[in-house]
Amino acid sequence: MSVRLDYSEAELMAVLMSREVRDGEVSACGALSQLPAAGLLLAKELHAPNAELIILNTIFRPFHTSRQFHFLAQRGELGLFFASGVQIDRHGNYNLHQIGTDPERPEVRFPGGYGGGMIYYCARRTVVFRTEHTRRSLVERVDFISAAGSSPANVLRLGNPSKLITPKANFRFEKDEARLRLDSVHPSYTVEEIRENTGFDLGVTEPVATTPAPTAEELRVLRSVVRSKMIETGTYAVWAERSLGSS
Amino acid sequence: MGVPYVPVFGLVGTDLLKRRDDMVLAPDPFDGKTISVVAKAMRPDVAVFHVDRADRQGNVSCGYPVEAVILAEASQHVIVTAEEVVDRLDEKDAIGAFVPSILVDAVVHAPFGSHPAGMTGRYGPDKVHMQQYVAASRDDAAFAQYLRTYVFDVESHADYVERFVPRELQRPSRAA
Repeated sequence: MSVRLDYSEAELMAVLMSREVRDGEVSACGALSQLPAAGLLLAKELHAPNAELIILNTIFRPFHTSRQFHFLAQRGELGLFFASGVQIDRHGNYNLHQIGTDPERPEVRFPGGYGGGMIYYCARRTVVFRTEHTRRSLVERVDFISAAGSSPANVLRLGNPSKLITPKANFRFEKDEARLRLDSVHPSYTVEEIRENTGFDLGVTEPVATTPAPTAEELRVLRSVVRSKMIETGTYAVWAERSLGSS
Repeated sequence: MGVPYVPVFGLVGTDLLKRRDDMVLAPDPFDGKTISVVAKAMRPDVAVFHVDRADRQGNVSCGYPVEAVILAEASQHVIVTAEEVVDRLDEKDAIGAFVPSILVDAVVHAPFGSHPAGMTGRYGPDKVHMQQYVAASRDDAAFAQYLRTYVFDVESHADYVERFVPRELQRPSRAA
């Protein structure tokens, strides 16, 4: 569409992620997570000054070993976690292992990971994000379940996915139905465009709400305070320099 | 910990469990109902890890925070390779994780033992070598050739360092 937006995709996603952070909670993201890192730092500047942030592999971490982080999660002390996968499906399952369903002959092999498959059940809320909103990334059924969106009632589980954030839309996870449902469409996109680019049924009848655009204040703080903080602390510094405030 | 298995929150319903025989679903023995994953304890025969400094008794200063203690505790035998071997190392002098000598069976002096990866405080990764490794890992023949060159046809660790660790990494000014 021809509507000109005054923010980039990365800035939009960082702002949307920041809105998921609640004041006073422990909120965390893993390694290779520049977008959630920016979102977490933005939330702390704006509405969640008392949020405790854990951004793994940066200076924003209360401890040094993965064992401590593991048991913090197991104790149920994580309020919010950000996770991503190469595929995400209708049921909130995500895949961080492989493309292709044959375990012996995957078409593409990804890092996998035990951590996400553990934290997905322990953090009170997990926000799943994907920077590519296409039919190959948002699918009816993932090729490999690295973490399951829901579990039977008799399974020990402390938390669930809460939301899926992409550059085009937000989906909310309906726990009772164990499915993702389109929640809001980001400015400049239509429900029809979301439908064309999503590999599963959106589960909605129109009209669907429009995601509130990043405010001037959110963008100002993201581009000034958060950007400098990321550069100064070596928290995805190169990415911050390039991606925040240069749109 | 010394326990035979441990329950964990998570992983139920994942395809990961289909591929592992050391993690199974089991009911809570107290309520008899609640299901969780139970992971079998790992008891390696031998653990080998590389550290910053070790002394002749086997006390170890890893050089950075790392889960070396639980690894050493879990394993029947522990072999430590070290950038530097000193006469006496006390826990209060340790940088990062400290492993006491009672857990360690053998210490090997192996400067640049992390190559082509880096060693915190001493040298950075050898990025050129890393790229070669990634390229070689793309097919079996290339990888076999890599192993011949860098592992099987190497006479000793000193020979490896002499031939394959770039001179600029060996200068202290390039420490990571």
